[in-house]
Amino acid sequence: MSVFLQQLINGLSIGSVYALMAVGYSLVYSIMNFSNFAHGGVIMIGSYIGFFAMTAFEIPFATAFCIAALGTGLLAVIIERIAYSPLRRRNAPFLYFIISAMGVSIFLENIIIASPIGPTFRTYPKVFGTTPFIVGGVNIGRLDVMMFVISAVSLMLLIFIIEKTRTGMGIRASAYNLKASALMGVNTDRIILIVFGLGGILAGIAGVLFGMKYTVYPQIGNITLKSFIAAVFGGLGSLPGAVIGSILLGIIETFTSGYLSSQFRDLIAFVLLILILVLRPRGLMGKITEDKA
Amino acid sequence: MKKRVALLIGCVILTLSLALTGCTPAAPTDTPAEEKPEVVKVGWIGSLTGDQAVWGTCELNTVKMRFEEINEKGGLLGKQFEVIGYDTRGDATEAVNAVRRLTAQDKVIAVLGPNASGQAISISSVLEEMNVADIATVATNPKVTIHDDGGVKPFNFRVCFIDPYQGAVAAGYAYDILGFRKAAVLYDVADDYSQGLTEFFEKYFIERGGEVVAREAFKFGDVDFRPQLSKIKEAGPEIIFMPYYYKEVALSANQARELGIDAVLMGGDGWPSEVLLEMAKDAIEGCYFVNHLDFDDPDVQDFKNAYTAKYNLPVELNGYLAYDAVELLAHAIEKANSFDPVAIRDALETAQVLGITGKINISKDTHNPEGKDAAIIKIEDGAYVFQQKYSAN
Repeated sequence: MSVFLQQLINGLSIGSVYALMAVGYSLVYSIMNFSNFAHGGVIMIGSYIGFFAMTAFEIPFATAFCIAALGTGLLAVIIERIAYSPLRRRNAPFLYFIISAMGVSIFLENIIIASPIGPTFRTYPKVFGTTPFIVGGVNIGRLDVMMFVISAVSLMLLIFIIEKTRTGMGIRASAYNLKASALMGVNTDRIILIVFGLGGILAGIAGVLFGMKYTVYPQIGNITLKSFIAAVFGGLGSLPGAVIGSILLGIIETFTSGYLSSQFRDLIAFVLLILILVLRPRGLMGKITEDKA
Repeated sequence: MKKRVALLIGCVILTLSLALTGCTPAAPTDTPAEEKPEVVKVGWIGSLTGDQAVWGTCELNTVKMRFEEINEKGGLLGKQFEVIGYDTRGDATEAVNAVRRLTAQDKVIAVLGPNASGQAISISSVLEEMNVADIATVATNPKVTIHDDGGVKPFNFRVCFIDPYQGAVAAGYAYDILGFRKAAVLYDVADDYSQGLTEFFEKYFIERGGEVVAREAFKFGDVDFRPQLSKIKEAGPEIIFMPYYYKEVALSANQARELGIDAVLMGGDGWPSEVLLEMAKDAIEGCYFVNHLDFDDPDVQDFKNAYTAKYNLPVELNGYLAYDAVELLAHAIEKANSFDPVAIRDALETAQVLGITGKINISKDTHNPEGKDAAIIKIEDGAYVFQQKYSAN
């Protein structure tokens, strides 16, 4: 029984990493209707900003965390202006957005490898202790608890912004129909920038937490492939769907590794993706879509 | 049309100049060979440029230093030696060219090096064509001395043990010296090195009477090992064998401790690195790994001091194995009582010599030093501490 609980905790912990990444995906998708593959690159940059803030500049964790989140927020906005905004103005097909996003993602990864930072991996200094909490025979890492709390708080803040503020109303309206919102006087250009900024901030948070839990390296972005699956699983464009999809994917992966074999882990994750796309394209909680990429 | 011809000529000139410069001697070795006809030539190949230049330079320095010492003592069979070293630039094709030049033009009696498996594997056809033996230094891939069909390559030898052997050493040490009976293995399913070590570890541990209670795999690139480790924890092993590289070792060791696993961890030569200590100092305290040798081993101190005094450089792992490659060759020459390359090869097949890295008993079937000593290193107070030499039989 305790093994089952332990695997459940492991799954929750892995799932909460996916969740932070998947929400950023879903947020941008809900407005722009395309999968922002540059998100992984932004997460990676966030991880590096946090790392260098803490090591090279010896900034305390909380401040470094905020710097990383704001830095990636800004980066995401810049990416939008350079890579997507010109396409948007020309009403380019969605495929162009995806290709542009992939370009940005590859660019970000390689700029780090080519820079003096290089391809070697780095490790964050230890902020939280390494001795785990032991509850009923189950070990829970301190960092996992912190990650869970930080993820939950930032997701709740996000939901608050979207549900309760005027800007949030603009975001919801734009997500429902971008053109109609613009006709009704919503400054959609501003809304899009805000959405990218929020997505970027989430990416920075995810990057720092991921770096602390594991290591920092230029290919961190690859893991967002999993959170993309999670986002599709939960329903692209739905924030609660992204969270639930991520947690479920984390648990499914852990149980596959734990009870079957870790060789089957990715197999099952991708079969799940295909099954969802075939049987229920809008995912668990997605909005009904017709022409989404 | 004229333009094209000019281009073609340009290409030809470029190609020719490449071909001509492709194989320059690494160092202008003191070579007035015609004046001293009694000199016997020994070849060496390895990287003197590129990523592995540090290792290659150390090897060539060692080989030269050893033959100078041998010459000072009157040489072997009454003859003096000359070392000719060529740069392979870390490239397999260059290695083949260098061996061809050494054997066809310089008429060496044997070749020492290279250190890299990729280059050592590619030179076997030239060696077999020219009937000259090679002793590789740190080329650990099993295929260096064995053909794909399982037959031994007649002219390839080496002084290092092969990668998977580390698994056998780890199993023997864990069972016999540390007294563990229940082992678990976590390994990288996508990596030959990791799989080879795992296979040997399991085989030797079970043969001795131990039990492998769990065997879990991950794939290169994974960062979370907790699902596998939770399963291993349930099986309750006394020791967990982790045959992979330091990044994954650091992550998995930390995660194992986080899950409350207090078993001793053990690994191979993928472990030692500053990064491992930095990332997982507490998690690997009291754990062990297997290496080719240890720089603190008393047996290697004389050579280390002599080398540092002569070249004012630190000795790399390659230097120690190059030293033993010379020992093995000198032994084979004396045993063959001849400078005939084929006679030397025949002598190498059953050579037994005590090197500074351990006893080297070449097996006729594999051309590897079978049952060679490995160094066992323990992590104590956040430092790598040499324990003893140990061999698996």
